[in-house]
Amino acid sequence: MTHPYELTLSEAADAVADRSLSPVELTTSVLGRIGETDPATGAYVTVTAESALADAARAADDIAAGRHLGPLHGIPMALKDLIDTAGVPTTASSLVRADHVPSQDAAVTARLRAAGAVLTGKTHTHEFAYGTTTPQTRNPWDTGRTPGGSSGGSAAAVASGAATFALGTDTGGSIRIPAALTGIVGLKPTYGLVPRRGVASLSWSLDHVGPLTRTVRDAALVLDALAGYDPSDNASIDHPREEYGRLLGRDLKGLRVGVPVNYYFDRVQPDVENTVRAAIDALTGLGAVPVPVEIPMAEYVRAVHWGLMVPEATAYHQDSLRTSPELYTDDVRILLEAGEFVPATDYIRAQRARTLMRQSWQELFERVDVVAAPTVTSTAAPAHLPNLLWADGSEEGVSDSYVRLSAPANLTGLPSLSVPVGFDGDGLPIGMQVIGGPLDEARLIQVGHAYESAHRPVAHLAPLVTSAGAAG
Amino acid sequence: MAMPSTDLSPDDIARLAARAGLPLDASRAPAVAATVNAIHGVVGALGELRLGETAPASSFDAR
Repeated sequence: MTHPYELTLSEAADAVADRSLSPVELTTSVLGRIGETDPATGAYVTVTAESALADAARAADDIAAGRHLGPLHGIPMALKDLIDTAGVPTTASSLVRADHVPSQDAAVTARLRAAGAVLTGKTHTHEFAYGTTTPQTRNPWDTGRTPGGSSGGSAAAVASGAATFALGTDTGGSIRIPAALTGIVGLKPTYGLVPRRGVASLSWSLDHVGPLTRTVRDAALVLDALAGYDPSDNASIDHPREEYGRLLGRDLKGLRVGVPVNYYFDRVQPDVENTVRAAIDALTGLGAVPVPVEIPMAEYVRAVHWGLMVPEATAYHQDSLRTSPELYTDDVRILLEAGEFVPATDYIRAQRARTLMRQSWQELFERVDVVAAPTVTSTAAPAHLPNLLWADGSEEGVSDSYVRLSAPANLTGLPSLSVPVGFDGDGLPIGMQVIGGPLDEARLIQVGHAYESAHRPVAHLAPLVTSAGAAG
Repeated sequence: MAMPSTDLSPDDIARLAARAGLPLDASRAPAVAATVNAIHGVVGALGELRLGETAPASSFDAR
């Protein structure tokens, strides 16, 4: 028997629409699943069971009365604890914000509530999103391993059935990295497409908000509700509303897929490289045309990323660093303190280099429709492992390695979709990212869905394998 | 002849922190200095780019 928590968002939405499933049954099932999984995964900071059941009952009444708001109506969701929720603590997984209870919803929270979604709770982030391992949370494919981050709680919840969908934020890969490492779908939209009002910032120049879901179709449904101009976010794009699933089911004949000849396959685990290359071949098998592409300015990705993010993060935290520095965890505090000493001219130089990088990627997209590449260099590492060792003898910090392939889409602002494409020899998930031109999310969804329909027709939940060092 | 190091020492960091009004216990200065020097090493790569008239990517809408 299928439990309601196992349903994808699309399946649940169909069942709610045809009245074969009530939002109360669905929400009760997901809350029960949280009870089963969260002791092992530590995905949630706060579970809002009481208000979730009340919201679900209201949704059921509205739908019964003929007021059906659309596919998200009555669907349980989890929000990363960086995203403001009126009346619900929003801690950024930090003691610095332990007492923060927002009086207003973030723009994205308001949009999802207006679409009828039901909040089951807030999920863990690497403290203030400044890191990619989310140490409070464990990977439901193997609880001895990291789920990635910084949206690790959202990913672990969706992958284990403890949320039907979730939101994350992405400044260097923080939606796509945990999506890849937990075998789910993550979409970082075009910079400025989804408003950030009410979302704690890591780096204004690079922050994005987007969905984590079990299928590509589900991601399109969430993006439909999230996207749209908001003058309160100075990066918000005044762009007409779209239906992001409008190309679902259209074939890939003639689609030009850029296959990087540099950067994206350097120092990548062999299982990851082989699996992603096979997935690119699968796109070719569906009619796409592979086009070898040289990634421009690849040697400057890390420098531009650090040059923007480090001083902006410090600027955001400048006051708390002076009033309550002892409340930060040590790895985050040291980065924030170090950011005080980056010269303003280095920061501006990074912004100027970013201009060149964006221009050169735009030229790249004159020759291809999308670029396909691994999302992350490697599969989920054991929790608390500090470094990865590569075949060439080099060592790389886990967080540095995790952002290496996802950061370019933050620097360029281009949309990027991570889809599950297989497993390594230990059964750990591998993701492929599909990067598109600006505002070409519908195309990414077309490509991801075509792959998924042909090669991953059923989105299985993570098996919840528990091993040493489960979340405490 | 070895180039003189451009790295900041823990004492440099302590002095700059005091100037910035950042409370920084002396015991933390070595670790912060190491992180600052690592960041400088990464970001310093941008020094070789010829940027000419290129403007920063940051901007705002004057409406």
